Amino acid sequence: MNRYLPLSILALAILAFATLMLVIAPGIQIDARNVPEGLRNYTQAEQNGRDVYVAMGCVYCHSQQPRSPDQAPDGERGWGRPSVASDYAFDAPHQLGTMRTGPDLLNVGARLPSEGWHLTHLYQPRAIFDWSIMPAYPFLFERKDRAAPSDTVVTLPPAYAPESGVIVARRDALDLVAYLRALDRTYPSPTDALRDDGYASGPAAEDPNASEGDS
Amino acid sequence: MPNDPKSRESDSSGGKHTARNIIFAAGGGLALVALGSLVVELGLAPAWLTGEPVQKTAMAQKPRDDLFHPPDTASIPDDEFGAAVQRGMAIFTNTGTNASDHVGNGLSCSNCHLDSGRQPLSAPMWAAWVAYPKYRGKNKQINTMEDRVMGCFTYSMNAQGSPSGGPPPHGDDIYRDLESYFYWLATGAPTNEKLDGSGFGKVEKPEQGYDLARGEAVFAEDCVVCHGPDGQGQKDLNGRYVFPPLWGADSYNWGAGMARIDTAAAFVKHNMPLSQPGKLTDQQAWDVAAFLDSHERPKDPRQKGSVEETRKAHHDGDETFYGKTVDGRLIGVGMQASAAAKAPEED
Amino acid sequence: MFGRKSKSDHPRPDENFEPYEEFSGIPMPVYWIAIALAAWGAFMLYDTGKDVTLAQDERVEERAVQISADQGEGGNLFVANCSTCHQPDGEGLRGAVPPLAGSEVLAAGPEIVARILLRGIDGPIRVGGDDFDGHMPSFASALNDDEISRIASYVTLTFGETDAKLDPKRVADLRHEVGDAGSFAGGAELATIVTSMPPQPPHPAPTAADAMTATVQDLVFAGRDDVWACASCHGDLGQGGENTPRLAGQPAKYLTKQLNDFRDGTRDNESMQIVAAGLSDAETAALGAYFATLRATSNASPNLSADLARGERLALQGDWSLGVPACFTCHGSSGFGVAPDFPALAAQHAPYTASQLAAWAGGGRQNSPLGLMSQISQALSSQDRRAVADYLASLPPVPAGRTASAQEGTSNAE
Repeated sequence: MNRYLPLSILALAILAFATLMLVIAPGIQIDARNVPEGLRNYTQAEQNGRDVYVAMGCVYCHSQQPRSPDQAPDGERGWGRPSVASDYAFDAPHQLGTMRTGPDLLNVGARLPSEGWHLTHLYQPRAIFDWSIMPAYPFLFERKDRAAPSDTVVTLPPAYAPESGVIVARRDALDLVAYLRALDRTYPSPTDALRDDGYASGPAAEDPNASEGDS
Repeated sequence: MPNDPKSRESDSSGGKHTARNIIFAAGGGLALVALGSLVVELGLAPAWLTGEPVQKTAMAQKPRDDLFHPPDTASIPDDEFGAAVQRGMAIFTNTGTNASDHVGNGLSCSNCHLDSGRQPLSAPMWAAWVAYPKYRGKNKQINTMEDRVMGCFTYSMNAQGSPSGGPPPHGDDIYRDLESYFYWLATGAPTNEKLDGSGFGKVEKPEQGYDLARGEAVFAEDCVVCHGPDGQGQKDLNGRYVFPPLWGADSYNWGAGMARIDTAAAFVKHNMPLSQPGKLTDQQAWDVAAFLDSHERPKDPRQKGSVEETRKAHHDGDETFYGKTVDGRLIGVGMQASAAAKAPEED
Repeated sequence: MFGRKSKSDHPRPDENFEPYEEFSGIPMPVYWIAIALAAWGAFMLYDTGKDVTLAQDERVEERAVQISADQGEGGNLFVANCSTCHQPDGEGLRGAVPPLAGSEVLAAGPEIVARILLRGIDGPIRVGGDDFDGHMPSFASALNDDEISRIASYVTLTFGETDAKLDPKRVADLRHEVGDAGSFAGGAELATIVTSMPPQPPHPAPTAADAMTATVQDLVFAGRDDVWACASCHGDLGQGGENTPRLAGQPAKYLTKQLNDFRDGTRDNESMQIVAAGLSDAETAALGAYFATLRATSNASPNLSADLARGERLALQGDWSLGVPACFTCHGSSGFGVAPDFPALAAQHAPYTASQLAAWAGGGRQNSPLGLMSQISQALSSQDRRAVADYLASLPPVPAGRTASAQEGTSNAE
């Protein structure tokens, strides 16, 4: 084990091969995909909200990658169809996440489209789910004696409402909710979609919706 | 050799042996675990050991494998015979439309012969096919299958209230198609044998007999959700019967087998509430059967003279309310078939 | 390089005494472990390998079915989409569903049929001398242009004996032209474009307006101090999405009962319990009545990648070997529901249906009458639950119109 030259060459070759197969080839594959028809770019507010999402570290507890039904019952949970590479066309950096301490959020805008609900939930998750372990984000809100006409007042059950005045959402909270509501990848997956299809990979594993896309 | 390992070993042999034994024991244990998990994975381990829950089924009694199984509808042949089978099945499940001239109420064959005549203990047609021709006390003669089905039209389908006023005449295509369907259902069944699961089964009359008040309570508890508080069934938004009426003008007439309490009790016990057969006790089945057969329904077509005479001729015994008096009203006088059976309804 | 220097022909002597440096065989238990693990691994590989091929085979078959349905001359499409009501032989159902065979509408050609498929019918219609209530759903969201053209051509050829083909492009034009015109107001409106139709029964005046009171409007669109607006989750038309259920066209009394159950704690859902907590009986009744009158095109799709053929079988025939009767035995001929206890299933979102079936099976939801749904759900495997949810999501939604009265009125009052 002391022929250093061949050893170094071999090591570099292995590294290069791995980079080619795991980085470059998939990169080329993904780059060739078009943006799906149902997907639009984020608005300024949504993009701001996305920055809040990143800054708050939501990704540490929430994934954004529904799995194939052969891997997990994500579809039955209402988390949406298995995601494909092009679903993330406007996501830089992506927020795929690896932890599922909380639910997957890639389609949260489809299953929970209510702004009011999200504001309540961000202000105090326990106001809705008494068992929730999600942190509250009261610093995204402020208490006012009286709401101004332009303010968005947070709907709160009596037990969590302030003793006097109202809770209104700051800009960051509104943007974050706008981002969450924009998370909706329920359009049919493109016919040329790239995805991890779990055990069911193979030529026949295309999304059954694809053929009904034109209806 | 000055450094003979053996001599060294004896110095520390006590500790070394212990360590070795522990490693061996742990290794052997691991091997046993691996083998055990293999056994479990293969499903060779008994359920009491693995603690796996026994598969639940919705039926009170597990579906019995020893019963006759009719062929799957997908295997109906693609020829002239198959076409007759398909027509027969269509008549069976949609009798009011496909035999509209001879149906005088809101029922279909498949209302009582569940799963299109395939379900055991709901008078499956595969069991009926191999039991005919036979002698029946009801009309005191040998009955062919055609005679039997004609009886169904006459009583259960209340043909007297139909546009034609009677069952399909002998030799009608309706019989050909229905019999083709029954014959096909009985593919492979032994002829002239009483098959398990035939008829509605029997439920012995309980010691307490039957009681209308108790029956009404059972009805309110277990039947109303589908058949409606007044037993008239329920329709969908197009006016199609989803749940059949149990009494009244759109139900079976007094001559039907189901108008007998023992028959109705057996059907209820083994098939109702739908998807929960066996839920009711024998006592409850008898009580509720008595309750629904104590209501007025279309008259017995065999009734020529008075109810009293007809009771003597055809309805003797304690298993029917025909000719009895309930709440001061004579039961069995019959009622007119509603307009619904003849023409579409205006609501 | 320096590597070569250390190459030597003879072994070096031990530098240090190593008490255990001696040859010893691999201990027996290691062999056992290795063999046992290898056996277990091989079995697992074989076992899951079977699953892979099984899953692939199923998908190949499913695709084959879809393709054959796509390429059939409309016959398969007719059986799949029309026959539960109009029957495979096109005879309809006496008193409930008009026959196709001999209908004046079919004689008018495939374009009229395509228009009806796109818009649906809501109102009394006279066909072949008989009057029908006339509630047919719109298939605009369930079928694409090609499928509609083939069904229209098929039924006019088979039942109308008019041999005219309809071009899918023409259907696209029609779809555009129809826009959101809503259903045909019964035979009366149809007769304006089909001259050969006999005199039609009058269409009753719509009565839906009174369901919308100021209270309901507030609750649905604005919410209250401690309650979110209904529409903020269920959509402006009650169409829902994913595991937020579609409410449009559900029987009023069913919706009211669910709201009351949330309020009383007999049905679990944190968000809905908060919403329902502040509602009075009068308000839940008014909300139920309001959503029952709504109509919304289907925005559900079979997105659980399950076996649609199995789902169709469960919905239409059930699986009696599991003790499971057909869904439609109780939920109505096309999953349109039967007031007041059996909700509409057609066009319901697949994740919602599947999650409710799972909740019944697991005991998370227990408010069905007689525990009917609990027992049925327990008998179904999770694949079955997904399959049936997917199939129901592929159906056209319940036709609305004067549904509030229709859904409640046809039960048994007449």
